[in-house]
Amino acid sequence: MEIHAYEKLWLALALVLIVGFIGTITYGAAGAGIEMIDDKGGTVDPATLDQHPKFGDPGIERTGENSYDVYVVARQFVFEPGTTEPLRVPAGSTVTFHVTAADVIHGFEVVGTNANTMAIPGQVSEFTVQFEEAGEYGMLCNEYCGSGHHVMEGKIVVMEQGEFDSWYEQQQAQGEAEN
Amino acid sequence: MATASGGGSEFVDKFPDEAAIIKASFLIAFVSLGIGAFFGLIQALHRTNVLRVIDSADYYTVLTGHGVLLAIVFTIFFLCGVFHWAVARSLDRPAESALFSWAWVGLMTTGTVLATVAILGGLVPNLGMSADVLFTFYAPLQAHPIFYIGLAMFIVGTWLAGADWFLSYRAWRQEHSDERIPLQTFMVLTTMIMWYISTLGVAVSVVFFLIPWSLGLIESVNPLLTRTLFWYFGHPIVYFWLMPAYLLWYTVLPKLAGGRLFSDPLARVVFVLFLLLSTPVGIHHQYLDPGIAEGFKFIAMTNTMFLLLPSLLTAFTVVASVEHGARQRGGEGYLRWLGALPWRDPAFTGMALAGAMFAAGGFSGMINAGMNINYLIHNTLWVPGHFHLTVGTAVALTMMAGSYWLVPQVTGRKLYSRPIGLLQVIMWFVGMVFMSNAMHRAGLAGIPRRTAEPQYQNFEFLTPIGSIFELRVQIALGGTLLFLSVVLFLFNILLTSLGEESDRPVDSYLPEPLSGPEGSPRILDNLTMWTGIAAVLVVLAYTLPLAGIIQNGGGLFGGGLPVPATVSAGVDLVLTTVTSAFNTLWGVVA
Amino acid sequence: MAVDSTAEGAASSAARASTDGGVPANADSQGDSGQTDPPVDSIVGTADDGIVRELEHDDFDPVGTLVLVLIYMAILIGMWVFMYFVEFLGRGLTVVG
Repeated sequence: MEIHAYEKLWLALALVLIVGFIGTITYGAAGAGIEMIDDKGGTVDPATLDQHPKFGDPGIERTGENSYDVYVVARQFVFEPGTTEPLRVPAGSTVTFHVTAADVIHGFEVVGTNANTMAIPGQVSEFTVQFEEAGEYGMLCNEYCGSGHHVMEGKIVVMEQGEFDSWYEQQQAQGEAEN
Repeated sequence: MATASGGGSEFVDKFPDEAAIIKASFLIAFVSLGIGAFFGLIQALHRTNVLRVIDSADYYTVLTGHGVLLAIVFTIFFLCGVFHWAVARSLDRPAESALFSWAWVGLMTTGTVLATVAILGGLVPNLGMSADVLFTFYAPLQAHPIFYIGLAMFIVGTWLAGADWFLSYRAWRQEHSDERIPLQTFMVLTTMIMWYISTLGVAVSVVFFLIPWSLGLIESVNPLLTRTLFWYFGHPIVYFWLMPAYLLWYTVLPKLAGGRLFSDPLARVVFVLFLLLSTPVGIHHQYLDPGIAEGFKFIAMTNTMFLLLPSLLTAFTVVASVEHGARQRGGEGYLRWLGALPWRDPAFTGMALAGAMFAAGGFSGMINAGMNINYLIHNTLWVPGHFHLTVGTAVALTMMAGSYWLVPQVTGRKLYSRPIGLLQVIMWFVGMVFMSNAMHRAGLAGIPRRTAEPQYQNFEFLTPIGSIFELRVQIALGGTLLFLSVVLFLFNILLTSLGEESDRPVDSYLPEPLSGPEGSPRILDNLTMWTGIAAVLVVLAYTLPLAGIIQNGGGLFGGGLPVPATVSAGVDLVLTTVTSAFNTLWGVVA
Repeated sequence: MAVDSTAEGAASSAARASTDGGVPANADSQGDSGQTDPPVDSIVGTADDGIVRELEHDDFDPVGTLVLVLIYMAILIGMWVFMYFVEFLGRGLTVVG
């Protein structure tokens, strides 16, 4: 089959471009250490989320010197935690999020950042990020979830380690007092 | 085949039955385009807070209408018209049965009406019937059963349309046992095979899960499973939109430019590549989904990146064909030849602008395809920015421009006004430049898609250059220009069809390609083999992920309770009707 | 064989080499019978009326196309590098686990 010389050149360049794209993505994974959301978060029963040991009382818990787990439940039309009270994390920490949905599919986006995932009933999205300096981030739902989708938002407050520790101790104390 | 100057040999004279089918298909397509475009205007003004005439809750009803009427009804009915024309023309024979043709038109139309009624019901308070589930209808959001039933009927109608064209091909083959498949028919057949393979996923989801679930016959569905089955179909549908546009770019645009198709064999290669690669890539819409292992996402990504190849090849072949036309018209130089093109012809200019815009849309698609960079833009306004360049312009603008050339052939009437047609296509392009570039930048600021009021209390969106306000103004302005463009288009087509018949309504002659099929390997025409390979690739891409979702995600039907988007008061009525009808039939038969 | 075979096309294509291919108004008077004419002559697809030379397969090298696609390739590479390394990697809260 006859292909014009210029078109052969273009075909070769196109293949190089395609391989280049795949290579860049692979660099991001292997070099920059970016991981994709996958199935490691496991599954849950969306109907009994309130009785789940973690999602029943969603929030932050310390798992190591500088590492934390945060459990988030997305439901129509709030993030728990995040909406009624902000989600608090310490600056300089490594936080692993576990996100699920109680009713319909939602999205979980930390505005202006690369933290973005789907919240699907029955599934848990698990992902780890590092918070650097103190400050605030917005959260929003970026998957249509019903008539109130556009009011579904929240806030993440990144606190200095000292302030976070006192807040965290207070939370633990309150939690024990309630039990 | 040259047109004689004595009249009477246009498509409508040679193939009157087929012309009637095409006119019906185009009519439904254009009505849907008009309603869908009007909804788009409402959305563009609402979400930018420029003008809000509806409740924000109704925004999602309007958005569902916009997506379904434009991305399903308009595009696919137009495809049916173009393909029906292309098969009759390239095989030089009428359809095997006009009655069968009307049957699929009727089935598709009935399905459209049912689904549209369900959607519009959402605007009527207290009706108890709605389908506020958007174009993707993700469970556990639930629509009224007739929404899903309407969509299923529509899809089955398209399957019958494909059968119509395969039957024509089979009859032609009996009389031409040794010839290469004429190019336009080759394109139609490969596109339809791809469609059969890809609609399997959504058909299973709708027929076995969503319809029974919405009727209350099963209690719940597995949301990740139905979402995955949707995207199995949801990516290849974009090629179902693109391939008729490519058919026009390969076989008609060269002539509109004054030239000839640069290479028939390469066009065949491109369509075979789409047949093979369109479906095993759907998971790239689910890069950020839990429950699917990274390995499967990586496979979807590499397949997707290679799927860029047929489009990049198309860029070369189509531009070379257009350049041929420019040089035949006296064009010279490395870039000056662009000036020798027939820019006053709206059919040419519309398609040329559509192709240029597709180059930009292709880039934002390349970003979407990147597995980890997807974190940056998933579900932000960048995504609609991308697809308004691709389906919204490469496809829709090509379809409108192509109409200026096709409608005269099936009506026997001249286009009412070339200058208005030219204004229309330019206005579309300008409007889309404003709207789409702003959507891309807004997406990078984190502004979400599918949201009635993206103005939040807890935080501000930030953009490095310009301001959020200026982005909103561009979207509103662009959306308004796009709507006005559709009005001009519909006005021109309406007046064309009401005009007097003409002896020479259009120049419909299509020249032979510069490089014909005889130079290409016969294996390209081996549709059975390509179908087999395509099926294998789909099995490889989807078996393991689907097995994982079913095994680990609570089984075929999931574990949770369904949450209907609205309560359907009509479900009991439907159930009673269906069961009593069945009992009646059974009583008669038994 | 690529040239439009209508009489007016063949006769006047040379004379109208530099136009946009629109059929002039006087040609419209053939064949119409008392209709209200649309505002301007409306025959679509008449680019081949503007053909001044026929280029066969071996006469044509798509050098203009090569220039355009090379420019496009350069834009793609530049935009990809910018998007990936500046917009994406330059942003916070990248998922690392």
